[in-house]
Amino acid sequence: MKISGVYTLNVPQERAYALLQDPAILAKCMPGCEGLDRIAENQYAMRMKMVLASISGLFAGKVTIADPNPPTGYRLIVEGSGKIGFMKGDGVLMLSPAGSGATVHFEGDVQVGGTIASVGQRLLDTTSRMLIKRFFTRLAAESAQAGVERVAAD
Amino acid sequence: MIPQTFEYTAPQTLEEALGLIAGGDRKILAGGMSLIPLMKLRLATPGEVVDLGRVSGLNGISENGGVVSIGAMTTHHAIETSRVTRAHCPLLAETAGHIGDVQVRNVGTLGGAVAHADPAADYPAALLALEAQIKLISAQATRSVAASDFFLDAFTTALEPGEIVLEVEVPAEDQSEGYSYEKVPHPASGFAVVGIAARIKKDGNRIAMARIGVTGMGAHAFRALAAEKVLENGGSVADAAATVGDGETPNSDLYASADYRLHLARVHAARALATAISRAS
Amino acid sequence: MATTISKPATLVGKGIRRQEDPRLITGTAVYVDDIKMPGMHHAAIVRSPHAAARIAGINTEAALAHPGVVAVFTGADVKNLGAVPCASSLPGLRVPHHHLLAQDRVYYTGHPVAVVVATDRYVAADAASLVEVQYDPQPAVADPEKALAAGAPAVHPQWPDNTSFTFHQEGGDTGQAFRDAEIVVKQRITSQRLIPTSIETRGVVAEWRPGEKSLTMFTSTQIPHLVRTLVAGILGMPENHLRVITPEVGGGFGSKLNVYAEEALMCYIAKEIGKPVKWVESRRENFQATIHGRGHVDYYELAAKRDGTMLGLKLKLIQDLGAYHQLLTPAIPTLSVLMMPGLYKFKSISADIIGVFTNCVPTDAYRGAGRPEATHGIERMVDILAAELHMDPAEIRFKNFVGKDEFPYATTTGLFYDSGNYALPLQNAMAQVDYAGLRQEQATARAAGKLMGIGLSTYGEICAIGPSAAMPAGGWESATVKIEPSGKVTVMTGASPHGQGEETTFAQIVADELGVDIDDVMVVHGDTAVVQYGIGTFGSRGTAVGGAALFYALQELKAKIKKFGAMLLGSDNVSLVGGSCVDDATGKSVSFAEMAVAAYHAKTLPPNTQPGLVATYFWEPPNFTFPFGAHIVVTDVDRETGRISIRRYVAVDDCGKIINPLLVAGQVHGGVAQGLGQALWEEAVYDEQGQLITGELTDYALPKASFMPLIESSHTETPSPVNPLGVKGVGEAGTIGCSPAVVNSVVDALSPLGVRHIDMPLTPQKIWKLIVQSGGLS
Repeated sequence: MKISGVYTLNVPQERAYALLQDPAILAKCMPGCEGLDRIAENQYAMRMKMVLASISGLFAGKVTIADPNPPTGYRLIVEGSGKIGFMKGDGVLMLSPAGSGATVHFEGDVQVGGTIASVGQRLLDTTSRMLIKRFFTRLAAESAQAGVERVAAD
Repeated sequence: MIPQTFEYTAPQTLEEALGLIAGGDRKILAGGMSLIPLMKLRLATPGEVVDLGRVSGLNGISENGGVVSIGAMTTHHAIETSRVTRAHCPLLAETAGHIGDVQVRNVGTLGGAVAHADPAADYPAALLALEAQIKLISAQATRSVAASDFFLDAFTTALEPGEIVLEVEVPAEDQSEGYSYEKVPHPASGFAVVGIAARIKKDGNRIAMARIGVTGMGAHAFRALAAEKVLENGGSVADAAATVGDGETPNSDLYASADYRLHLARVHAARALATAISRAS
Repeated sequence: MATTISKPATLVGKGIRRQEDPRLITGTAVYVDDIKMPGMHHAAIVRSPHAAARIAGINTEAALAHPGVVAVFTGADVKNLGAVPCASSLPGLRVPHHHLLAQDRVYYTGHPVAVVVATDRYVAADAASLVEVQYDPQPAVADPEKALAAGAPAVHPQWPDNTSFTFHQEGGDTGQAFRDAEIVVKQRITSQRLIPTSIETRGVVAEWRPGEKSLTMFTSTQIPHLVRTLVAGILGMPENHLRVITPEVGGGFGSKLNVYAEEALMCYIAKEIGKPVKWVESRRENFQATIHGRGHVDYYELAAKRDGTMLGLKLKLIQDLGAYHQLLTPAIPTLSVLMMPGLYKFKSISADIIGVFTNCVPTDAYRGAGRPEATHGIERMVDILAAELHMDPAEIRFKNFVGKDEFPYATTTGLFYDSGNYALPLQNAMAQVDYAGLRQEQATARAAGKLMGIGLSTYGEICAIGPSAAMPAGGWESATVKIEPSGKVTVMTGASPHGQGEETTFAQIVADELGVDIDDVMVVHGDTAVVQYGIGTFGSRGTAVGGAALFYALQELKAKIKKFGAMLLGSDNVSLVGGSCVDDATGKSVSFAEMAVAAYHAKTLPPNTQPGLVATYFWEPPNFTFPFGAHIVVTDVDRETGRISIRRYVAVDDCGKIINPLLVAGQVHGGVAQGLGQALWEEAVYDEQGQLITGELTDYALPKASFMPLIESSHTETPSPVNPLGVKGVGEAGTIGCSPAVVNSVVDALSPLGVRHIDMPLTPQKIWKLIVQSGGLS
């Protein structure tokens, strides 16, 4: 499934890039993330507990930051698997200045497998957009400045 | 069904129930038409299930002073067929008749559906159009939340931990009102691909009031406020329907892409409005 | 065998209610999951969540440590057992070794990797999730055309072209036909993957008796005897030490015409652990791991004269096989080729099948098995040709039908159509709907901007499968009839009915032939220790082959009874009348019971006659049978939403002689429901990674009772000369006739917008997009 969207953060581009690269910040903002542990340069082991309605599942996986090009963007790969299935998100984040803030444009692909893939397709689009929105909402809060404004996402 | 092991408790009183759900890895069973399939697939693996099915006082429909009160554990079938709902909030009765299938309607409950907040559930559209209040209760307090403030996101509501839906209060529809629930059911799941709940009050040939609730389109149900305004300002049904979904990012799935879903919402909004107008006197 | 039938038939032809139904509707039928045994254990299967992956390791420690778990089996345990069998043999067929459990790779989502056995079903399921399988995911390919493209991931690394076989069949001179053609129409037509979805999923209970060194397996199957032979082969045990019992079967539709890994696994496990073991498939497993049906991408070319005379037909058939061959996987598309001329007089045909591996569960027989695909193809092509020529679709069919005086008719595909009057069902159906009136109504509707469609299909099918020469492992069927000492009659049929109602139709035949009360007849099936070897029920063969075997067994038995009657009456000139034997000269008679007693007490015996009254007949059919019919569907398409409503559904089917019209109606209704399912709603969808995303009944749309139109069903009756009952078979007719009639109707509705073909399922979104693309919404 293709995902893409544009969010605006009320912090300068360099600061936005730094936040988006900071494993502590990523861990706080990724919905359900219970911790990121560095395993290599730009690579972190991830523990995640996804809770959505009655559904809950533990995922173990890793987060990889590839092709870093500060402050204009990088590639983010998030992989996880657990009893209810597995998922892999692979996308590019591109940052650009927007007034005093920064625009984050992302584009990528999400794959899911296992039970969540075989019974969840009705809700995949809705819930992945919701989780991304939560991520940026928290990121905005973390940036300790005025909120995040969603410009467009589809 | 072969779920993961879980504890099952069926409290008899509300007090007991609220005490139980105040803590722990507990899931509330209020009919179970969503929870049980998830447990069957082991997507939901609660440690303890608290069944509200035997709690007294959560079931029933009554009308008092222009407000219809429906207990959380009232089944869809009861809401579909009750003389009270049919007389005083026929939009809700009609909507209940579109949920799932007969078996689901016999077991599933209003409170369960509302608390689960599936983005494609039927009730939220009607409750928004009816400007219903959702009464919530916890061991500490009760409070009332407007439907428009209750549905926050996919499967996300204003319910706080420890809180359950106590009842839903629906202001009685005026006898002169017209109403309609128009639904495109998914052929497999029966969920609303889109669902449009419409209420119309006329003043002569003018539309004095329009209320339109939309479900299935986005992460949660919403009021089509722009469309309501178009009608109340003397605009046509077609013009009103054409604004439904403006500014929303429609859901997309195998059965209906975002653009088709948006189109369906507008076509069925026009149909629901036409029916509601024809029923209004 | 030449005994005269003296008594007029009284029950055959009557719509009597099914003997089977009381137990089914009162919940007293016994299915596999109802079987409980002392000490019975339960198995849960660990299945791959990946469509393609290397297995880097399997850790079973946590599962084994789980309280209640007695064993965990993995690929290593069953490596040296036999493979899941494929009975088809085509020249050059590549057959991947199909181990009972995955070895170092998995090939589709749902591929069994390990089996956990526990004292309790819940514990088994809990422990299954504790088996840690390390997968190293590999690129997968789920689409057969993409699998054929250069650079596609190889499903089986040893065959990078993903091609299991190619098969060419030619009859007549297609080169000449296409040179003579005044018009050639071409179309790509798909027949999507479908999930058979019987109400009862698969299930197995296996019990090992060490003293007797024998295994008993209860399994929900259509072919108990073949399962016995083939599972014994997998396990390397003598087949007479394996007893297969098929209790009530809650639907098969071809999906249980197979031998599955789980059947052999449960037998193996029962023996290994020394306890009975049960496995019952969940719905999700059923969707992932039981065979699917269809999966065609067909490229057709039809050559014709401008007057509508059809000359030649070419087909390139791409068959999505899935990752493995199940019992008949590669054979199914060859049935499509046999039936590709439909009911029409083609001078030539040419077909090329490409069997393609994909990272999906195997395809195999599903209601119609190859014939719905063929019928859909030819019936769509005829309509496309008619549209190009501005001819009425009925007229072009009448022009090309095999004539009623041309039987037996040799087709260009090498078949001999047995009997028929192909124009008659179409004439009847057209009269029933007032075809001319409907066309006028359509013209008026179109002028008003409405989308109304009239679609027809005239189908033929190949049934009573089949002569053994055309089958991988025998196409005959067997029947034993025993008249018990008390005069009650027991029939043992090698066909294994599972919903078709042969306990009723066979009892009707017996009652008429022997003159006994139908309630005195018991039809026994589905137990290899009780019933003589048989083939099974599939391909609309239960009555047309199994019923014929029964008929001949009855004739042998009647000849023998008559000897006892003659002996008791002391006369050589006797006749069987009703249940009695009558002296032609004196009118004196002896009853059925008296003759039965005489045969079993055997105080005196007729010359050269053994005691007892039992006859067994193995009947080898000389040919297939070829039912046919015409379906007309009237649809209205909602211009705004693309929603299709079926206004009328008229089916005129000819299945030869009808033994029980009530059961025939049931078959037509069920068949049409599944045809509508394919036409309008059903599709097994794998995503790019090979995940089955229609993995439950919440996403895979089966027809529901409330979706069904009124089916106006009637019949013409052209007896088949192939068997003595004159029956042809009706199990698949509804499905085969349905989908092209529906699609032809909807294409007809949309034809003013320039639409010429739509692939199934005809979802509203698909229709809406076509309407939008044509500018039809403005």
